[in-house]
Parts: sequence; C-alpha cells; structure tokens
Amino acid sequence: MTGAVVLRAAVGEDVLDVAEHAALVEQAAAGAVVTFAGVVRDHDGGRSVLGLEYSAHPTAATIVAEVAADVAARAQGVRAVAVSHRVGKLAIGDVALACAVAADHRREAFATCSELVEEIKKLLPVWKHQSFADGDDEWVNSA
Amino acid sequence: MTIEVRYFAAARAAAGVEAEKIQLEAGATVDDVLAALRAEHGAELARVLERCSYLLDEVAVRDRSTSVSGASTLDVLPPFAGG
Repeated sequence: MTGAVVLRAAVGEDVLDVAEHAALVEQAAAGAVVTFAGVVRDHDGGRSVLGLEYSAHPTAATIVAEVAADVAARAQGVRAVAVSHRVGKLAIGDVALACAVAADHRREAFATCSELVEEIKKLLPVWKHQSFADGDDEWVNSA
Repeated sequence: MTIEVRYFAAARAAAGVEAEKIQLEAGATVDDVLAALRAEHGAELARVLERCSYLLDEVAVRDRSTSVSGASTLDVLPPFAGG
C-alpha cells in the first residue's frame, strides 16, 4: 500500500498539542501511531536559553502542505499523517513542531514520522531567533 | 528597472529594513542585485548573503546569473531553522 492521507499540514500561532495530532490520525486499521514533538529547550551550544521567536515566509503554509503531500505520497503502508509548525513567541517547553503518523505496523510509522520531520526542517522557510540568559541573542543557523 | 528586495530573519536584522527598492540597469541578474545590496549595506549583510537562498517572484533561484527582468520581488532567505 503506497500513499497516505494528509489530515493536517499547518503553520500558525496557535498552541500545538501532539496528542491532538495523534487523535486526528488514529483509525481502526492502524496498529501504530508514532508522534514527534519538537520542543523549545532551555539551552543551546552550552548557553542558557530564555525563549524563542519563530518567523515564517509567506509561502510557509503552502510549503508545509507540499512537504506533507510528498512524504505521504511516497510512504509505504501508512494510513495518515498530520503536521503543524508553530510561529511567534514560544516559551521553554512549548511545542514548535507536532507530527503524527498512523500506519498498520510500527516500522513504517517510525520511518515516515522521521522523514516528515527531516523534510520539514530542510524545506520549510521558518527561522528561529533565540534569546539567551546573558542578554545576547542570535538567529539560529545564521550566526 | 527597479526590483523590490524583501529581507527575512537574519538578513532583515543585517539590512536594518524589511524591504527596499533597488534600481538596476536593463538585463540585470540576481548576482547584480546582490552586488548592489553588498555595496549599499556593507560587511554584515554581505556575510549573511553568502548563506542565503533567493526567491524571484516566489520561485526558487537555482542560478544567480538568472535575469531579473520582468520580476517584481527578490526575497532574501537565510538558512531555515524550523522544528
């Protein structure tokens, strides 16, 4: 079975809930639901982080839909995927990226969830501005 | 001709503006626009531009010798950092 349905592919400012993404994709035929939460952590490169602000290019909503559709179309043995990226000001512990993949078996669910996260990180035009406890700040990957 | 350059993230911070109009000679390429930006803004923006990708009217630029004639916007995108 090749191809899966995309039940959500979104970029927005609302709080993200991974469990809600899991509930969206689960179904009677799926014996495995794998989720991923990309969470704001309190350190980076050995420095203490206070918070992050994500910003997005105007095409980001279109691109997250394209990435999810591509990954879903290539997926083997997967039933459904859902993915959301949050933008705006996020605090430590907030979810920035939520993914859920439902498949008949675990191997396909793990593989597709991992591929979805990697593709989003590579292709989604989103940027992260990091504020440090020492008062410094930086654009991640551009410093 | 003129083109509007839109800056994002670290490029916006280095340029100090969100967007600006750049005057160009007929036949100008993406490389010509970048040379004008480096000349106008100096070393900090030049350093960021080295690592950027570009969209010409929201289409990815694969070759910087591409002509910008007929295009209205060039977007300057620093390396993505989502997730």
